[in-house]
Amino acid sequence: MNKTLAVLRFELITIFTRKSFLFLAFGMPIITFLIFQVVGAINRNDPNAIDDIIGSSQGVDSDGFVDLGGLITTHTEEIENGMLVPFTDEASASQALDAGEIVGYYLIPENVSESGKLIYIRPDFNPLALEDKAWAIEILVLTNLLGGDIEMAQRVWVPMDLEVTLLAPPKQQRDDSSPITFLIPYITTMIFYMVILGSASLLLNSIAKEKQNRVMEVLMLSISPREMLTGKIIGLGIAGLTQTLIWTSLGYILLKLSGRSMSLPPGLELPVSILVWGLVFFLLGYAIYGSLMAGLGALVPNIKEATQATIVVIFPLIIPMILQSALIEKPFDPPAIILSIFPLTAPVAMMTRLAGGGVPLWQPFLAAGLMLLTALIVIRAVVRLFHAQTILSGQPFKVGRFVKAIVRGV
Amino acid sequence: MHTVKVSHIAKSFGDVKAVTDVSFEVERGEIFGLLGPNGAGKTTALRVILDIFKPDSGTVSILEGPMNDEKKSRLGYMPEERGLYQDITLERCLIYLGTLKGLSKDEARQRAEKLLESFDLADHKTKKVKELSKGMQQKAQIINTILHRPELIIIDEPFTALDPVNTQMVKDLMEELREKGATIIMCTHQMHQVEELCDRILLMDEGKDLLYGNLNEIRKQFSGHAVLVRSNGNLPSIEGVVGIEEHNSSTKLNLDDGINPQDVLSALLEKNVILEKFEIAVPSLDEIFIQAVEEGKQT
Repeated sequence: MNKTLAVLRFELITIFTRKSFLFLAFGMPIITFLIFQVVGAINRNDPNAIDDIIGSSQGVDSDGFVDLGGLITTHTEEIENGMLVPFTDEASASQALDAGEIVGYYLIPENVSESGKLIYIRPDFNPLALEDKAWAIEILVLTNLLGGDIEMAQRVWVPMDLEVTLLAPPKQQRDDSSPITFLIPYITTMIFYMVILGSASLLLNSIAKEKQNRVMEVLMLSISPREMLTGKIIGLGIAGLTQTLIWTSLGYILLKLSGRSMSLPPGLELPVSILVWGLVFFLLGYAIYGSLMAGLGALVPNIKEATQATIVVIFPLIIPMILQSALIEKPFDPPAIILSIFPLTAPVAMMTRLAGGGVPLWQPFLAAGLMLLTALIVIRAVVRLFHAQTILSGQPFKVGRFVKAIVRGV
Repeated sequence: MHTVKVSHIAKSFGDVKAVTDVSFEVERGEIFGLLGPNGAGKTTALRVILDIFKPDSGTVSILEGPMNDEKKSRLGYMPEERGLYQDITLERCLIYLGTLKGLSKDEARQRAEKLLESFDLADHKTKKVKELSKGMQQKAQIINTILHRPELIIIDEPFTALDPVNTQMVKDLMEELREKGATIIMCTHQMHQVEELCDRILLMDEGKDLLYGNLNEIRKQFSGHAVLVRSNGNLPSIEGVVGIEEHNSSTKLNLDDGINPQDVLSALLEKNVILEKFEIAVPSLDEIFIQAVEEGKQT
């Protein structure tokens, strides 16, 4: 126990006095804050400055249309407010386009009621140009196809206003129209991925360095692998948590100092329970991935190969990152549920879902239980492969050897 | 009672046979030399003894039985080069590794300070290990090995990077530790460095034991029938001398069977030769090794 504590204390002091750690913990949030402040200041002085930088146009945004079949008899609000400009023929529309009065124009053919085909003419190549504006011409055509009945057109456009009454116990409701609904899970995914990976990588680096220095030989003749691993896992886990705590606190303080606040929409307040789950999933995720990284460190001959081999271990953690859109947009579909319960993907996937809200309580409990079991099995396996013979074999890293060593240890 | 007993150990790495068949015993309170050229399998044998590597065959008894966690605090091991944290201060490194050997922090600090003083490293204790010269790091490693006063000290290539003054200091230290009852296994390819230190040796080559036993007896076994002589003039011809060869700054007289060194000394004195040196020619360990390898090839 004393030796475990000695290892824990040593790892903590070593990491806390390292310049790179101090920079990452304190320097990064401050630099990020300063960048946002500078960008904010530029924006305040010239609201279009940022748009100018990223190239978005703030000028003309109207489209024209030429009604070739005389369909358009009723003008909608979009014509009144200038979003759509009528032209009598294509030549005048083209002239207006050349003069920069419109950004493009539609040709509404005679047989539009049968074919539904319209032509849009635009001088630049921008396939996404219609993404957020095509609805204006759609509603205009729809209104006139329905004989100019604007109310009917609106009813067809949005056929029903569904009111849902839930008989199940009340749970957090998602407001799909709010960007925050999606932003928070995205941020949570990123933070959990970074924090777990960052802390686990500390363990990998520590062991790979000790191998390189050949301190490992001395250590193996001083303490048991279990004492050494336990001390390292706990010590570096505390370091990872501390780093997260520093980021969160600094973020909060800097936000206060800047006179801004981050307000969540009503109904999407993050409950205290998410912090508790956050801690649980961080600790369990770190225990699994930290141990796997330690096992990796034991097998790779040097730090360079260790870095290259990391992808093998962290791949399951990347899966929720790749599928995060599905996790966020369809959090209650089977793939999202499976990913958030499977122990290797759960640390990130479950937190992504929890941040979105509405997850039945049994799911995080089941995920945490399975992760605890996996962590215990992985730690036991890694302790077993942590024999000096494996550590000092000097053989190049092979995925098969790593998997075999872990399975043998189980 | 044997502190270490090694019986027919063998260890291979893939197709490479690092140790083929090695057996020896180390007695309590002796300095034992595990000698041989580079690549002879000495370090692998040491690692097998220390349970760092499991042998493919054979057995090892260390401090009366197989290696276990309790015994780790009773032995000190210095690997060849490095073996210290590079990015922390020397003092912190020694104290930490000392606590892992069972010392309290205060105890480790006090002992480290004393040893740093005697090794002329006290002024460098706040420097990072990587900032120290190779020789200083070697001395720091030796301090780390003996800090917890182990019963069994195993050191791999102890004289690497040390200048003659520090080499002598380490030799004196080893003798002092032996006098205090420690058992020492020194592993080196610099055989001449340990000639005067070791009580017994094992000479290894290509993973096998070549020569094993008391150093003086091995020397006798390999000493030819010859004397080394140095005089201030030319040597006269002496009856019974069958060959003369230059040997460093002396002359080596190979004697005929039936002639003993005393007869040669008497003959030289009778002829009024003023002698600066007269001694029975004893081969160095390097010479013994070369001779043993050649004999091994012939058989």
